Amino acid sequence: MRIGGSELKLEKRPALTGWNAALISVLAIILALVLFSLIFILAGINPLVAYQEIFSIAFANAFGLPLTINRFVFLVLCTCAFIIPFRAGLWNIGMTGQLYGGALGSFAILFAFGAKQANSFSLSPVILIPLMLVAAALGGAAVGAIAGFLKGRFDVNEIVVTMMLNFIMFWLVAFMIKEGGPFMNPGGRGESFELPASAYAPLFMGIPFTVFLALGLALLLYFMFARTKIGFQIKAYGHSPAAARYAGISATKIPLLVFVLGGALAGLAGYHYFAAVPGVYKIARNYGFFGDLAFYGIICGLISLGNPLAAIPVALLFGGLSIGGRFAQGKLGMGFGVDYALLGVLMITLVAFQFFHRYKIVRENTGENTADVGVHR
Amino acid sequence: MLLKGVKLGQTVLGVRGITKRFPGVVANDAIDLEIKAGEIHAVLGENGAGKTTLMNILFGLLQPDEGEIYVGDKRVRFRSPLDAIDVGIGMVHQHRKLVSAHTVLENIILGHPRAGRILNLKRAEEEIRELCERYGFSLDLRAKVWQLAEGEKQVVEILKTLYRGANILILDEPTSALTPHETEKLLASIEAMSRDELAMIPFITHKLPIVLAISDRVTVLRRGKVTARLETRQTTEQSLAREMVGREVIFRIERTQVERGKTILQVKDLAALSDRGFLALNGVSFSIREGEIFGIAGVSGNGQQELAEVLAGLRKAEGGNVLIDGQDITHASSLDRWQMGMGYIPSERIDVGSIGDFSLVENTTMNYYFDGDYSQRGIVDYGNIRELTKEIVDEYSVATPGPDTRAKNLSGGNLQKLILGRVLSRKPRLLIASLPTQGLDVGATEFVRNKLIEAKVEKSGVLLISEDLDEVLSLSDWVAPIYEGKLMGIIPGEKAIRENIGAMMAGSQSKGQET
Repeated sequence: MRIGGSELKLEKRPALTGWNAALISVLAIILALVLFSLIFILAGINPLVAYQEIFSIAFANAFGLPLTINRFVFLVLCTCAFIIPFRAGLWNIGMTGQLYGGALGSFAILFAFGAKQANSFSLSPVILIPLMLVAAALGGAAVGAIAGFLKGRFDVNEIVVTMMLNFIMFWLVAFMIKEGGPFMNPGGRGESFELPASAYAPLFMGIPFTVFLALGLALLLYFMFARTKIGFQIKAYGHSPAAARYAGISATKIPLLVFVLGGALAGLAGYHYFAAVPGVYKIARNYGFFGDLAFYGIICGLISLGNPLAAIPVALLFGGLSIGGRFAQGKLGMGFGVDYALLGVLMITLVAFQFFHRYKIVRENTGENTADVGVHR
Repeated sequence: MLLKGVKLGQTVLGVRGITKRFPGVVANDAIDLEIKAGEIHAVLGENGAGKTTLMNILFGLLQPDEGEIYVGDKRVRFRSPLDAIDVGIGMVHQHRKLVSAHTVLENIILGHPRAGRILNLKRAEEEIRELCERYGFSLDLRAKVWQLAEGEKQVVEILKTLYRGANILILDEPTSALTPHETEKLLASIEAMSRDELAMIPFITHKLPIVLAISDRVTVLRRGKVTARLETRQTTEQSLAREMVGREVIFRIERTQVERGKTILQVKDLAALSDRGFLALNGVSFSIREGEIFGIAGVSGNGQQELAEVLAGLRKAEGGNVLIDGQDITHASSLDRWQMGMGYIPSERIDVGSIGDFSLVENTTMNYYFDGDYSQRGIVDYGNIRELTKEIVDEYSVATPGPDTRAKNLSGGNLQKLILGRVLSRKPRLLIASLPTQGLDVGATEFVRNKLIEAKVEKSGVLLISEDLDEVLSLSDWVAPIYEGKLMGIIPGEKAIRENIGAMMAGSQSKGQET
């Protein structure tokens, strides 16, 4: 393409720095917002007003902000649950099933200590909450382990297995909370029994402590991939299983390990929503909605290019827009799902902009080469 | 078509002053080349000499910055390979570009202008059969491509270009994947084709004997420039190598005698299956002592790959034992073997020996993440490994911008130097080197061979697996030809006679040679 005396050309990038990737993502987000403003205009709404509503509800509103943060915590955990196997070249499509496993694990602890009959319950939260966390992680890990074991031992496709486990776990939860299983609410409302008040997760300014857990885990994962032996082994396997085997890395253990770790994080996401978010404190009737929400973990994981630190802003954005969009829609009286539509446009632009991870646009004064070092063959 | 009715000896392809610059390098610097009908004109040069660039320009894949191309006496400009094909240039790539689930016939007519609408398979088959007969190719046109050997696939590629009417054939490393026997057959066919007024331009990096055997003239490239234009009859291997590398190259390495230490590796009656489930290794026994090179010579596919993998712990042994220092490690993991002092240089240096998307530092880490000096309590000391990588890059003169470059940006020879340096820096007591010089240019080959000798001098036991008989003969203290999964004999290096070993590689029992 020619503009004036210079020419725009596409050139292959030799390598992508983290800052470049971040800049590209920010540009993609801006473009998505610009594109989506057309929809607002068509609906007769001033886009600036609409965006102001969306962002103020999501990030600057005493009612909206806690909702955003709760969703953010959930998304960060699900994103990391996707990222760990992703770095090993494996696809975890089963955060849904794994988070159900985590929720069932937490409630199994409560059930075991007799929390279903709340009046007889007296265990100290100092013991109970760590136990519930461990059980949630184990529950999620157990579901993940099935896929990891089958992949490592028999090379069964992990996408199919995790997908199928989602269905199995969905119906297992249905059985446990409404079809006659032990976690049924005594009132029979198609949901699980409620947490006793003493098992409520500690709050900091209205936010459950799981926010620190999620942030800490994301940092820890970043460190794991950047510095540790196990992180190196996972990355090596992810790039080339044959080369990893050559280097003495077990091709059976790595798939199992990444799905156990990923499943454990998804399990914690289950704990977060069903046992830590104020106002829920039970496996709700609409648990399927949260299960579906877990799929955003895949999108966020892909957008953040498998980097657990990048997952934090991405999950915050997605969490905020989904909350802000939903409420702005009601407030502005729009007849369509602003939250899903906006996230959809955002996903498309972010993915499309990944083109610039491999190519860059360079301006060339016609007839003269830039000193830029490209890849040539 | 510009080339109808050319006569023997007429110039069919002329290249004048071709220059191509890439950022930072001049890949082709004012190159002149003249190809005549009926001649085999080899273009010789090391990796990075600008051969690939020139080839791509001739085939329309790249456009030159300066210079002219003439076909016949007409100036041409190629915007894409289609333009080149239209004037009768055909290219046979080093890496086969065939549809493996289709038959030979289907592959040959794929992309042919006449195959656009209605297929006349019968007519095509007859025409192709005629071509085969004329040039002495024996090929089952109905066979599926995946069933073919490498050499046959090459023939399919050649037929494909001929059938499209090529008069000028560019052959990229035509023999690099072939066995000696296949090579012979191919060379005979190439000669037959050249008698038919076809111009042949094989581009070759390192197989000098082949240049000498078939070409009429040679053009040698070094660093983007033509350094010599020679009549093949008037050259020798030595002089070609000198023109190509720019200095004297030693082909024969004196076998250094080192005092041998104790036995480090014992292999007893080893058996293993190939990927397809056949018995690829059938009762192999030998032992290696410190300070000696044990060379296994064989045509590819006779079990040497499986042998290397079993010894490295990457393939299950179906029977027999492997002992290091007298300790049975037949079922030990590959990690255990690395820690016991084994070092393995795999033949698949891109797919197995390295990770292209990893930096050189991370590639070094592949052999060090388990080493207590470079990783403690689960944390890898990347700072230290970075220093080590720099040392390897210096000592092994790996040409690279720095240790953070990705491995996929290294050329084959530099990648092999990195792998070799990485493995040898561990000071392995037992080194398994599988096809360590395959595909490398003359300079890198010489370097790798010297490093193997150095390892031997430093008291390592070295198992050298190679398809290059001369390499095995010049380096090894023991020579063991392998045929169909069995060692045909174990002969002391100084008593090994080339012809006898060659016969044993082809299956005949040891002929009165001491074992």
